[in-house]
Amino acid sequence: MLVLTRKLGESIAIDDHIKIVVVQIKGKQVRLGIKAPKETKIHREEVYQAIQDQNTEASQSDLSSLSDLTSDLKKK
Amino acid sequence: MKLNTSRFGELEVDKKDIIVFKEGLLGFENLKKFFIVDPGDQTLILWFQSAEDPATAFPIIEPKIFKPEYIVKLLPAELASLDLESINDASVYTILTIPKVVTEMSANLKAPIVINNKTKIARQIVLQDSKLEVRCQMYMELKRYIVNYSSDDSTRTTAQAPKVANSETQPFEENTSKEENANTTGKEA
Repeated sequence: MLVLTRKLGESIAIDDHIKIVVVQIKGKQVRLGIKAPKETKIHREEVYQAIQDQNTEASQSDLSSLSDLTSDLKKK
Repeated sequence: MKLNTSRFGELEVDKKDIIVFKEGLLGFENLKKFFIVDPGDQTLILWFQSAEDPATAFPIIEPKIFKPEYIVKLLPAELASLDLESINDASVYTILTIPKVVTEMSANLKAPIVINNKTKIARQIVLQDSKLEVRCQMYMELKRYIVNYSSDDSTRTTAQAPKVANSETQPFEENTSKEENANTTGKEA
């Protein structure tokens, strides 16, 4: 991994079209501004983790848990 | 071809019904081939069964069933990655999590599965909209839909042996019987 040191207001350019700026430093928090083309997808890493967790949990569903749901759903 | 599954036993699957995830699903990057199984239990919940691992299957549902206003907006690059000109040429499913307390079931609206109906190429796409939830609780909406639906349709048959569904069929469409929908080819109807 490439590690760079930046001060407040300084930025990093990735390729020709992506720019990341250090907008604010407050204690343990850093606020970053990201300039990128519209088609660039930007997510907090936690989003991917949450989706991965959801996928894993979903894959463990079995037919018996679903049959409980089925009978429950059909009750009027 | 015949494929073995741990939940549904051995199933006969037509090669053209195999859905290919070039990148796999998040956390399941090594599994690329899936097919859709309709267990025929009238809950409108289908399964994405791995063709490579008999034990891996995900319960899925079409989000418009419980959330009619849900729209998947794809970026041009995402459409291109699926060889799509428009989202209208695709099927959209959300993966369900069904916990012990079934009323807490949830759907992943943040990262739906989008399938090109023609090429059967699919991706789990993480949408940019930050309001979409990874675990959107939707038990009540689904129940409401099912209760209304079954009262409209007296010709429905009871649950039957698992069948492989064509991903293009729409199990919630009215005036169509379950058997026709569950038909592997969907063409005899």
